[in-house]
Amino acid sequence: MRLLLRLYPADFRDEMGEAFLETYRDRSRAAVRDGGVAALAGVWLLSLADSTRNGLGERMRPAVGWRRSGNWGRDTERAVRRLVRAPLFTLSMIATLTVGLGAFAMVATVVQKVLLAPLPYERPDDLYLVWRDYGKVFDLKHGSLAGTDVVALGAAGGVIEGAAGVDRARATLTAAGSGSDDTAPEQVSVLITSPNLFHLLGVRPALGRTFAAGEAGPGRPALVVLGHELWQRRFGGRRDVVGADVVLDGTPYQVIGVLGPDFRLEGELASDAYVTHLVNLAETNPGAGSYSVMIRARAGTPPALVASAVGAVGKMVDERDFQGKGISLYPVGIKADLLDAVRAPLLVLGAAGVLLVLVLGVNMATLLLVRAAQRERELAISRALGANRLALVRATLLEAVLLGTAGGALGALAAVWGTRALVALAPLDLPRRETIAVDWRLAAVVVGVGALLGALAGTLPAVWSTRAGLATLLRNAAVRGGGGGYGPLRRAMVVAQVALSLVLLSAGGLVVRSFEHLLRIDPGFSPAGVLTFGVPVPGARYPTDTQVVAVHERLHRALAAIPGITAVGASGALPLSGDPAQSTVHFPGAPGNSGDTERDRPLVDYVQTRAGYFEALGIRVLAGRAFEPTPSRGVREAVIDRTLAQRFFPTGSAVGATLEFFDDTLRVVGVVEHARLHDVHQDGRPQLYVRDEDYTENALSFALRSDRSPTGLVPEVRAAIARVDPQLAVSQVRSMDEIVSAAVQQPRLSAVLLSGFSLGALLLAAMGLYGVIAGSVSRRRHEIAVRLALGADHRRVLRLILGEGARLVGLGLLIGAPGIYLASRLVGGVLVGVSPFDPLTLGAVAVGLALVAAVACYLPARRVAGIEPAQSLLEN
Amino acid sequence: MDRDRSVERFLPLRPVEFDVLLSLAAGERHGYGIILDSEARGATAVPDVGTLYRALRRMQDQGLIGASARRDVPESADERRHYYQITPLGLEVARAEARRLAALMRAAAASGLIEAVAT
Repeated sequence: MRLLLRLYPADFRDEMGEAFLETYRDRSRAAVRDGGVAALAGVWLLSLADSTRNGLGERMRPAVGWRRSGNWGRDTERAVRRLVRAPLFTLSMIATLTVGLGAFAMVATVVQKVLLAPLPYERPDDLYLVWRDYGKVFDLKHGSLAGTDVVALGAAGGVIEGAAGVDRARATLTAAGSGSDDTAPEQVSVLITSPNLFHLLGVRPALGRTFAAGEAGPGRPALVVLGHELWQRRFGGRRDVVGADVVLDGTPYQVIGVLGPDFRLEGELASDAYVTHLVNLAETNPGAGSYSVMIRARAGTPPALVASAVGAVGKMVDERDFQGKGISLYPVGIKADLLDAVRAPLLVLGAAGVLLVLVLGVNMATLLLVRAAQRERELAISRALGANRLALVRATLLEAVLLGTAGGALGALAAVWGTRALVALAPLDLPRRETIAVDWRLAAVVVGVGALLGALAGTLPAVWSTRAGLATLLRNAAVRGGGGGYGPLRRAMVVAQVALSLVLLSAGGLVVRSFEHLLRIDPGFSPAGVLTFGVPVPGARYPTDTQVVAVHERLHRALAAIPGITAVGASGALPLSGDPAQSTVHFPGAPGNSGDTERDRPLVDYVQTRAGYFEALGIRVLAGRAFEPTPSRGVREAVIDRTLAQRFFPTGSAVGATLEFFDDTLRVVGVVEHARLHDVHQDGRPQLYVRDEDYTENALSFALRSDRSPTGLVPEVRAAIARVDPQLAVSQVRSMDEIVSAAVQQPRLSAVLLSGFSLGALLLAAMGLYGVIAGSVSRRRHEIAVRLALGADHRRVLRLILGEGARLVGLGLLIGAPGIYLASRLVGGVLVGVSPFDPLTLGAVAVGLALVAAVACYLPARRVAGIEPAQSLLEN
Repeated sequence: MDRDRSVERFLPLRPVEFDVLLSLAAGERHGYGIILDSEARGATAVPDVGTLYRALRRMQDQGLIGASARRDVPESADERRHYYQITPLGLEVARAEARRLAALMRAAAASGLIEAVAT
């Protein structure tokens, strides 16, 4: 009979066993009385079958009953009550989760919106940008294409449905056509494009139409399509702007359409307005690349096929235009092209976000375990009063899920604001920056992650705390004065937190070090006290080079006359803003020539400047002199940078040497320090400076050095320019410091976020450690009191407790050490000037973690070492 | 357990549950007593011990029945039998189930499946 009862689970036996057996006995007695042994055997057989079925059924009940039984509303209410009764625990847990999940939500938003969300074009996966690889001719792998390439790609057929060539320009918008009262000149970015661009992208205008085939080329009417933002800003969203004329660089253009708010080209192609080519693409110089080319492949064509089709066109062009020098074309998916630069840092941030959530989960589990330990006695009593284990597990789990959900919801809310701040902090050239915002789906995901985190973190404590048999539980509770049991699990949690924090801290430390290095880099110029701005001179107003040079001269003089200005520099492209042009140079007979024709004609960045440029930007002159205000007659002058001088004149002076540039021969008058023109953390090409008067540029940027605050100069600068010509626009007014700061914006953002995550993880690990040590200490109060009473000195007790903490931290560091390798591999791609295994950083991280851990252990240890043995024993 | 929930939540009852409630509605009984009562009533499926105790436990959790303080002393040895009694909620539920079944019977009679039953 008792054997039959064994078929049922223990809680059933506890509750119903006795009554079950007595009824069974009654039944058997009745059977013997009525039918003898045969009847008894029948009852046994029947009972065996019946009990097997019901015993199994009862054992299955938790799984089935989870769904069927229980009152969720009541259980939730009780869980909330329990949480409210422990405000310190609840608030600290929710605050931690809010911060952690909020940070995760922000990172998830950025990764989702920038990396994962589809681009707002038709079939974006079939769109590619095509680039020119100059192969061995010179070091340019990401070159623009010539008009002839655009025509060849468009005519290729096969998998290529169409090709559009676009060229960036800036234009001065002076009159907004009929009816507009806003006629102040303004610089706008314009994309000069093939008529089929919008058709290729599959984008319809919000108003009017876009270009039709054949609306490009010489002699065609000047038409413009406005971007949504410019339409709103400049034309107040007026619908009658379609059909009106706007004036760009002195030429009237008819507005034929306005684009919708969702349409935007990203990165370098972002523009305010769109016009068509006024040149015949097929007649452009094949060697001069100035177009970015977008192609659309037939739906679903594999990238490899697109690459081979583009490659074939490239080969044809190479044979036809370059006599087979090996200049090739290759496609890059439009999304990949846009996002390549930001993918690595964003993935690092994403990984750090996930790691942080992991640390958060382990921390939550640790604190829940500590709490479960404190509630051990309560749970034991509950079970003694008949609560079944399932109900207790459910109640504990519910608490954790509620906490997680609340943290997720608050975190999502915090992320809404946090993301706005993040976008404000994000670099201006971050692709798809405008789209970054928390939407309801992301918020729902974060709340879900919170709930899941709660469920996962709560399962272990819930099951563990109800695991021990009633008697054991009561015995433990009695002997240890509460807080006993499952120490190993809690200690394992602390070890895990220390290990995970070590990984996150290493990654964060390396990125912060890299950023610090970036800030210390000498860019080759001195940005402090310099104001910069652009003053484009419209070709329609100043058609000849002489006129352009004259107006530049007048501008220069007007600016130099402003009080406090110590130097005026003007150039086609200032450092870190706007790309300088490239060309090859040759130093005939220079000692550094190797005899290899290609190598001796290196590609250089060339910058057109006026006298005063080096003084204004603080670029040191190393040999010879800078340009002088009055050009020497009959001689074209050049200044080269240190890199170029060292390459061709390794032993002697480059000053006085001659160089071939385009079809001219220039004389080197000076050598200057290499300045970082494109990027703060990359050297870039060698540099050649030529006089603007010789190679006239219509859009000069000015750099003013003064002993006054750069921004304070702005009104006087505007007035000075307006005195020269009120029709001239002033664009991009910024201090050089701002430009440099913007150039390190992305690494700064990564450093800020990663160090935030790392500190968060460190704090969590410290909290976990503190919770566990404090729990263990309070559990051992009695034991420690006895030790003290028996004569142990306080220092030994302190050492005992600290020793326990030290073991946990040591083990965590040991286990986390291989994780450092992963962290280093992950962040390796975004580091500048720091080795991924920088011993100083990694050592500092480990020591820092150990120190924080020591404090987290010391606080509870000091408290226990200070107890009065007699009083403590009395309490027990 | 909760007694404030609507009675309909329990309906329809399993046959064994209704059987138990019918037995206990007449008075407190021990386990074997319920079996005997079911047999005497000619119940369609007289529960076996395992089935009965699983149902008893479930119904206790649901608050339909409760353990009684009454213990009788049988002739043999010093055994004390466990008695069960119906709770007010159990009574309500049993009534509701009876009404439900009666309505079904009326429906069955109306469609000519059985002869009309007086209720």
